[in-house]
Amino acid sequence: METPQHHPHQAGNGASSLDACKVPIRDDLRQSHAQAWAAIAKPGTWLTGARRLAVAAEIRQARHCRFCAQLRDSLSPNLKGEHESLGALAPAEVELIHRVVSDPGRLSEPWTQSILAMGLSEGEYVEIVGIIALVMIMDAFTRAIGVPEQPLPQPVAGEPSRYRPPGARKDACWLPIVEPVDAVEADGFMYPSPKAGYIYRGLSLVPESLRNYWALANIHYLPGQVIYQFDKSIRAISRPQTEILAARVSALHQCAY
Amino acid sequence: MLRESSQRSEEAVQLADVTQGLSEQTKVRQADILMNYAEAVVRGSSDDIATARDAVHRVMGGEALIDAAATIAAFHGFVRIADAIGIPYKTAAAGGDVPEIREQVGVNQFHRVQNDDD
Repeated sequence: METPQHHPHQAGNGASSLDACKVPIRDDLRQSHAQAWAAIAKPGTWLTGARRLAVAAEIRQARHCRFCAQLRDSLSPNLKGEHESLGALAPAEVELIHRVVSDPGRLSEPWTQSILAMGLSEGEYVEIVGIIALVMIMDAFTRAIGVPEQPLPQPVAGEPSRYRPPGARKDACWLPIVEPVDAVEADGFMYPSPKAGYIYRGLSLVPESLRNYWALANIHYLPGQVIYQFDKSIRAISRPQTEILAARVSALHQCAY
Repeated sequence: MLRESSQRSEEAVQLADVTQGLSEQTKVRQADILMNYAEAVVRGSSDDIATARDAVHRVMGGEALIDAAATIAAFHGFVRIADAIGIPYKTAAAGGDVPEIREQVGVNQFHRVQNDDD
């Protein structure tokens, strides 16, 4: 069978880097990437579009940071040093981005509190984590299928909404979340079920980030309504094949969840 | 999720393989080339990824390649949300966390479990 081939990608021409893949890509995957990049470029809840794109650029920079490479190889995550950043963001943002990208399995609640103590708000922290998750999914997908990264879009002007859900509270997690029972109409759609798991609630302090994330993640993994139907697969790989990939990737990241 | 799906499909899985690498006890079809693909995407070079990708494509076809890549990509996001927000690992599997299985898989050796009281 012919192996996927690549076409040179011209940045900035509005094309999707996914076009470079000769293997057909599901339409819903293509659309989910386009929608996610458009969402990243818009003003968010606490960050402007320009700052959100600066976060996206720093996420990519983190993969080339020599201090992050040292961290990953270090026995202790408490290594001191300086990240090689693009210089557009504050130190708290750079530390948050680089650690979450490079060494997520060794984060801790005291480290999270240290980021907040550097001046980042809880909302900004969660919104940045949401952008990290989006960019990591899309960049991992392009790397996996062997096409170039999508060039970053232009930012959309406008002000962040600065909406904080009134039901958000810090209890189960290191950051506040909105339990399904505490969600209100003003939050917008958040949970497909009152039993939505904690992974679903993780970004709920910033409902827009939660919606953007699940719109992308469901298309890549499985939508919520089929996750617990273990004898059924809606993909071209079987459910055990899906889950062995999922478990191996999680284990390689030292993720205990 | 892996345990449940393997039980339903009757494709045996050695759960420790998730942390220790594939053994002969795991009988999920094409597990070897899929695990190799996942490992290459997470920590391999572009050449490693290309080799692993070619194997998936050759044996399983284009649609399977895309869905495997999408699954691998999805978990680059899930793990970062879980670990950056501090979601309690004992709430995993819809609250069906079983300590014995965590031990069997090797998850209890992870930094988060070793250094956390949740």
